[in-house]
Amino acid sequence: MKRTIAYLSLLFILGVLLYIANPNYGLVFGPGGKEWLSLRYTDNYYITHGLKEVGGMNIVTDIVFDYRGYDTIGEATVLFTAIAGAVALLRPWRRDES
Amino acid sequence: MTCRPRCSGDMGLIVKTSARAIIPLIGIFGAYIVVHGHLTPGGGFQGGATIAGAGILFLVSFGLDEMKKHYNKSLYSALEGIGGLVFLGAAMLGMGVAFFYNALWHNGPFFNGKPGTLLSAGFLPIMNLAVGLKVFTGLISALTAIALYRRWKS
Repeated sequence: MKRTIAYLSLLFILGVLLYIANPNYGLVFGPGGKEWLSLRYTDNYYITHGLKEVGGMNIVTDIVFDYRGYDTIGEATVLFTAIAGAVALLRPWRRDES
Repeated sequence: MTCRPRCSGDMGLIVKTSARAIIPLIGIFGAYIVVHGHLTPGGGFQGGATIAGAGILFLVSFGLDEMKKHYNKSLYSALEGIGGLVFLGAAMLGMGVAFFYNALWHNGPFFNGKPGTLLSAGFLPIMNLAVGLKVFTGLISALTAIALYRRWKS
């Protein structure tokens, strides 16, 4: 009985997700079509100018390493600090050897 | 779980043979992702994490004693620092215009080929290599530190 209820609830969740993901009558994530260009001009700027200004074919790499470089610096600093802390904390301590 | 006579922390013969065959392929795939970071999906972080996955597979399949022979803490720490510094230095190349200005691509002596070729896109390949090196050495260092940490006596 419990197993049947579990499978039925899984089926229900799958159906809800399929209904939501349908572009015709489900949730709409932001505007589409012509309205997209007027509201999301930043995306369009990256897509049209990224190859000329930065030079990479991969627009994501253009954004991550050039337009949003400070974010990448912060990410690298966070990774460096986390690994320095892990190596400093997790090495064998002198107290444990006695 | 019973302990085998050697008890060095490695896995069995099948796992070790498979890992010996698979680890170079994972490394080559990660290096491809890093080098082609400005052309195809992926980049420094993803490729570095892939190469670090090869190292972690080596660690879990061959055991900690075998890893200690191949792991040099000072070398890996130095490589991680060098990766971060090369990233910052490549960002400072276009300091005359702005921080993170791609001066090598606009009027640079090299890395200024046609878009879509390997030697193009200015400092993006340099940054991808630096970040890939940094992520690879950092993740290997973190996982080795976690594996080395034993409070109990074995």
